[in-house]
Parts: sequence; C-alpha cells; structure tokens
Amino acid sequence: MSRPSKPGDPRKVSTELFTLTYGALVTQLIKDYEDEQEVNKQLEKMGYNIGIRLIEDFLARSNTGRCNDFRETAETIAKVGFRMFLNIAPVVTNWSPSGDTFSLLLDPNPLTEFVELPEDKYKLNYSNILCGVIRGALEMVQLEVQAWFVSDQLKGDSSTEMRVKFIRKLEDAVPAGED
Amino acid sequence: MNDEYIFEYLHMEMVDQFCNSSDSNDDINTAIKKLERLGFTVGQRYIEKSTKDIQRFKDELETMKFVCKEVWNVVYKKQIDNLRTNHHGVYNLHDYKFRLLEQMSHSNQYKEHAPKYLAFPCGFLRGALSGLGFDCVVTAEVTKMPACKFLIQIHHS
Amino acid sequence: MIFNLYIFDRLGTCVLYAEWNRKKPANLPKDEEFQNMYGMLFSLRSFVKRLSPLDCKDGFLNYQTSKYKLHYYETPSGLKLVMNTSTDVGDIRETLRQLYGQIYVEYVVKNPLCPLDKPITSDFFKDKLETFIKALPFY
Repeated sequence: MSRPSKPGDPRKVSTELFTLTYGALVTQLIKDYEDEQEVNKQLEKMGYNIGIRLIEDFLARSNTGRCNDFRETAETIAKVGFRMFLNIAPVVTNWSPSGDTFSLLLDPNPLTEFVELPEDKYKLNYSNILCGVIRGALEMVQLEVQAWFVSDQLKGDSSTEMRVKFIRKLEDAVPAGED
Repeated sequence: MNDEYIFEYLHMEMVDQFCNSSDSNDDINTAIKKLERLGFTVGQRYIEKSTKDIQRFKDELETMKFVCKEVWNVVYKKQIDNLRTNHHGVYNLHDYKFRLLEQMSHSNQYKEHAPKYLAFPCGFLRGALSGLGFDCVVTAEVTKMPACKFLIQIHHS
Repeated sequence: MIFNLYIFDRLGTCVLYAEWNRKKPANLPKDEEFQNMYGMLFSLRSFVKRLSPLDCKDGFLNYQTSKYKLHYYETPSGLKLVMNTSTDVGDIRETLRQLYGQIYVEYVVKNPLCPLDKPITSDFFKDKLETFIKALPFY
C-alpha cells in the first residue's frame, strides 16, 4: 500500500490548524452565549488579550522602533504584522480626510477559509477577534484605537473590511507622588 | 525561534477564556471537558483534511506511528520521543518536551495548571484517531514539566 | 561587572529585580528603591528629551558615576530594562535587546501563567536569565 503523503507546506498546515481551532472556538461561544453580540464581545476581548502578548513577540522579532505617525503604523500592521502571524498582507485603504481612520481589506481572510455562516447569524462578526488583537497590540505601543468590521464576505459583501480609528495617544504612567 | 506561534497564542487564550474568565460560569471540570471536546472536533476535521487522499494504514501500530511522527510534527513541531504499547490496544506516547508546556516550567512549578493545557491536546489526539477509524480514550499525565505522557486506550469492538 | 537589573512595565511596576555583584545595598526598602528608580528614569528621560537639539527617538542611553554605569533600554511597548554595571562596560543596548527578545518574550510573554503586569514569579524565567547573565563577557 502507498505511504501517506507528507503533510504539505508546514506554514500552510499550521495556519489550517489555527483556522480550524478558531472555527471550533466560535461555534462553542455561540453555544455558550447564544446572543451574537455577546459572542462578538467575547471574541474581541480574547483578541485584546492575545494582542498585548503578540505585540511583544512582534517587536522582538521585527526589531522595529516606534512608528512616526499613524500612516506608518497602518502600513506596519498590514505589511509586517499580518504577514508575520497570518501570512497575508491586507491592503490599507479608505483613509478618512483627517487621517485618523483607515481600513484594512482582508482578502483572503485565513480565518474564514472553511466557513459558511448560517443565514440567521447575520449579527455575528466572525473575525472579530482580529479587532481585539489590533486594539490590544496598539494599546501597548501607546495608541488607543477602536477597530470594527464594516463588511464581511461571509455575509455576502464584496469585501471584508475592518476600520481602525485613532482615539488618542497614551502617556507613560507618571511616578507615584508626582504630577 | 522563527516559527510562528499563532496557534499557541490562541490556545492559551482559549484556556483562559474557559477556565479563568469571570464571564464564564463553568467550574474547572466543565471547562476542561469543553476544551477536550473542542480539541476532538478540531482533531477530527484536521485528519479529514490532511489525509483525504491516502489509504488507511495497515494496522493500529502503523496508524499510531503516523500520529507520533507526522501529526505531532505539524501540531507541536516535533515528534513523540517514545512510543510504547502492550499490543492490546494500550499506547503510551511520551513527549519529553511538550510544546504547550515548554515555555512554562522545567520543574514542578505550575504543575497544577498542566491539566488545563492538556485538555485540548487530549481531545485533539482522540479526534485524530477517531478520524483514522479508532475509537479510544485519551488521558495525559505530567511527571515533570515540560515532559508529558499521553495514554491511549483503544476500544476494540 | 554586572551589579543588578530592574525591569519595569509601562505602568511603572517593577516586574523583576535581580542582583549579582552588588555589595552595598541602597539602605532603602525595596519598593521605595523601585519607586525612586522609576521616578528618576521618568524625569531623566523627559528632561533629556527636552534638552535635545534635535528630535531623538532613543532618548537617553546611559549615565555614569565614578563607581558605576547605568544602562537603559526601552522597548516601543514601554518595557524598561535597567542594568547597573562597573564603569568599564561599553554600550550594551544590543545585549539588553537580546535579553528582551530571547528571555523576556520567550519565557514571560509565551508563558500564559505569567501576567504581564505583575512581578515575574516563573522559576524557569529566572533560571534562563541567570544563565544569560552569567554567560555575558562582562559579567
């Protein structure tokens, strides 16, 4: 009999494992919380917790310094961050005129590779964990942001688009007993 | 150090979500069961995908060797260090440096936390074997971190 | 020669303190010492930046007295590594960077049982740190 073929490209296989695990997690959360908004919230929270660790790993490996402005931050997230951890490089686009909000176009989105969303789950933002990751990671480099999905190919939209909005720059903690 | 660590970050956060989160009402045993079942689903689906085009193995032992080498390598970036069997459906897989415990401790510190981090892997193993046609029970035991033993008992019908 | 090491998180908590050849203690309770150290770094850093003729990204790197030299490395995530050595030690930013990447990230960030904002209790991390420090040529 023939020997089983070696599993393919190790990078791809590990992303597959990640994708499958994420899918099982979302299914479990839907069972646990029933309410889709609550599932979105839990996913975002989990992403935040991942983000605050991931950023350290990212900084250590990429050896990048602080970004000079929000545009550089956006490019670094897309071209270095996403590439490092998910092996994709989303397009940065749709800048707001004031330069405080941009979009990431996730095409392809490795999280949704094997997924079909049931029709009654239209409130679920399946990939919401990514919003949390971005919020957590940027908070650690002293940028408070909001991140949310405005469209999702899983729901029949033509693209999967995440908006990221700059809120404010965070300052270092002032030592106790000083102003 | 260059391999990506994304699955591990997700796994650690899942453990935290089910075992420690104040939003969850589960006690620790319910949480562990949940993680085990999650692992089972993922293991089963993973095997379906990765062995789609291959024929079944000639026997149980061959299957087990495939799991210890190929599957372990994909999931945990190394092979099982030692495989023993009594040739009656009981297998003992010994990993001297289990990836999901490796960063935590090389002593007995944190040993009490190990079961939370082994529930998903136990389920994954059970799911993978189920996908390969074997119904079994999987348990794990830690003697000294980060080494760990997976005990498999196959149910013969 | 290395005297000691402090690691502060971005909120000013001293998450790690370790010493090697430090013969004379500061005669202060440890938490007061940490607080003073963080306070001094904070002021030094902001004042140094203010004095700088050009915008500088790195801020201050080290200062020296006749008896010791204090080396400072801050990651973009606000983690602050401070090492005191004898005065003959040169620029060790690269060493502190390695300590961050190879020890802190590997054994604290990747250990889910180590909260990032609390003092580090992992023995495994401390062993790895000890090995890393003792292998340095200027130890």
